Amino acid sequence: MTDTILIEGLGKRYVKYVDQPTLVGSLLPFRRSRPSPLWALRGLDLRVEKGQTIGVIGRNGSGKTTLLKLLSGVTRPSEGRLRVMGRIAPLIGVGVGFRRELTGRDNVYLNGLLLGMERRRLDRRFDDIVAFAELQDFIDTPVKFYSSGMFLRLGFAIAIHSEPEVFLLDEILAVGDLAFQSKCFERLRMVQGSGTTIVVVSHSMNAIRGMCSRVVLLRRGLVDMIGDTEDVIARYHELLSVEGDADEETARSGGERMYVGGAVIEESRLFGPDGPVNYADGGEQLELRVRLRFEQAVDSPLVGMQIFNEEGVLAYACHSFLGLRHRRYDAGETAKVFIRFVPRLGGGTYRVFCLVATADGRGSLAVQPRGVSLFVAPRLGSRGVADLQGSIEVDGRVMPVG
Amino acid sequence: MPERTSTAVLDLDARPSSWGVAVLDVVGHRSILMALARTDFQARYRRAVFGVLWAAAVPLVQAAIVAAVFSHVVRTSSVPGPYGIFALSGVIAWSYFAVGLGTGATAVVDGAELSDRVWFPRAMLPVVPLISGLVGLGISLGCLLVAMPIFGAAPGPSVLLLIPAVVLLVLLTGALALILAAAHVYFRDVRYLVQAALLVWFYATPVLYPAQLLGRYRPLLDINPLTGVIELFHAAALGWEPAMLAPVAVSVATLVVGLLVAAEVYRRYDRLFADRL
Repeated sequence: MTDTILIEGLGKRYVKYVDQPTLVGSLLPFRRSRPSPLWALRGLDLRVEKGQTIGVIGRNGSGKTTLLKLLSGVTRPSEGRLRVMGRIAPLIGVGVGFRRELTGRDNVYLNGLLLGMERRRLDRRFDDIVAFAELQDFIDTPVKFYSSGMFLRLGFAIAIHSEPEVFLLDEILAVGDLAFQSKCFERLRMVQGSGTTIVVVSHSMNAIRGMCSRVVLLRRGLVDMIGDTEDVIARYHELLSVEGDADEETARSGGERMYVGGAVIEESRLFGPDGPVNYADGGEQLELRVRLRFEQAVDSPLVGMQIFNEEGVLAYACHSFLGLRHRRYDAGETAKVFIRFVPRLGGGTYRVFCLVATADGRGSLAVQPRGVSLFVAPRLGSRGVADLQGSIEVDGRVMPVG
Repeated sequence: MPERTSTAVLDLDARPSSWGVAVLDVVGHRSILMALARTDFQARYRRAVFGVLWAAAVPLVQAAIVAAVFSHVVRTSSVPGPYGIFALSGVIAWSYFAVGLGTGATAVVDGAELSDRVWFPRAMLPVVPLISGLVGLGISLGCLLVAMPIFGAAPGPSVLLLIPAVVLLVLLTGALALILAAAHVYFRDVRYLVQAALLVWFYATPVLYPAQLLGRYRPLLDINPLTGVIELFHAAALGWEPAMLAPVAVSVATLVVGLLVAAEVYRRYDRLFADRL
């Protein structure tokens, strides 16, 4: 197979200015704003074969967006070399280039040209694009009258019909309603099968699993790992549980509870039926095992667990009975806490936190800056934070979900 | 399915594009330039009641007002023909320049969203308002030609000077807009500096007054690269004078240097603009 993308020692350095420089200011001898260089990406070597779909994952600020910008040619590398054998186009988020005063028709042409389509090809594909976006009746209406759903549908329809050699996917967004989404995914599968190379950048491990056989994990601008999807995702979760996330700092401490200290969470891990896990595939029971060490005497601590999804939304929380007297711990003593639960959660990545508080629940005894990450495999045909295991019956016939 | 190519469409390293690649990039994306110009024009005028006519009406109204006011201020006897025609020909050229430079100088920053995910040569963005403004310029000049016999200045062969005049105007505006638009990416106060400079520049250019009004200080006006352009428009309307040669030469020289500078700036910095947008 031939390589479509060839990357050698690629690096991008950004220079951040404290404040926006002005021409007047730069001519004056004082008040020069100080540049501070920062490598957003460095030392990336990567070859992507024609027709392959490769995933790029990593936390915010790991260099994913920079890589996309380099691949699309919007910015120039600071070192190394990047070659793309073929036309490259973003698949999603191009609707931003729409001109609001222009009709859908004019925007199809403008956007199509921006995506590198030729006018003749646009003429040929125009009806398909409009039909795909389901906008036949509105195509001569200025897009400023479009709903946000219509906007996104049109943007996606143009992009998917632009047929480049390389597609860039930045987050597989929820475009329009469910029916349209499944149409998009179906179309994406066709594109995947047609020899188009795809680069997927996503926070959603579902999407990565569903599309990619090979994944690049970026960490602080450097490649942490390149390999098979499952291995790299496992490594990603390991990193997450070691490093935690800045925005999870607020979620971890248990909301309004005041930190008083007095205990340390020495270890916390998730166990499945066969040992330690960081993902849940079906409805099997999991166990959060925590070892606490008390640094001062504590009477009847309250323990519990909180599970947050990727957006920091509380998916589930439980704690022991408020004010229950069970035992007194002296300084230096340890306690083993097992919290068993069935992860009936929607597909996605979650963070599981152990909660240790005073008996009245008012003061937090220990903070767990890291939490434990938990990946829940999605169930086809269902979405949301919970998996209520819905089943569908029509006229006495049980319909398969998905 | 599209025809697959095996040559690298994108080949980037830390060095600036070669001249060959830079030129091919622009040629390869020319359809985008025309599409952007067309939509820019449509967006500006399509939904206005008088449509395209507004494109010409604004400079004409402006010319009429300033001509009425200035004919009382300026010693119009030094103008080689009807003052109304003199002022109109100058104002038409000036307003194209002012609008083109004003919008062109901020075009790369203002168009950041447009080229956020897909790349095309950024140099196209400042050029877009110049192309879409050509329609208005054409209509304005048509009005000028109609007005000339009415004011008693029947068009002579010097009208042909409009062709080099328009070419010089468009290219000079383009060169300056390109350079300023690049500077604007790095220095955001360029937007305000341009607005302020245009106000001063208008009076430092013999748009509404004949250059000979300045007597022995006239060479100072000739240094202004816009003087030559405006003088060419005046010449097209009211006849050529040998004294116009010096400012026209200055304009042409500025144009050549400006275009070379602009080309080099965009060859070097085009893909680096994104880092500062």
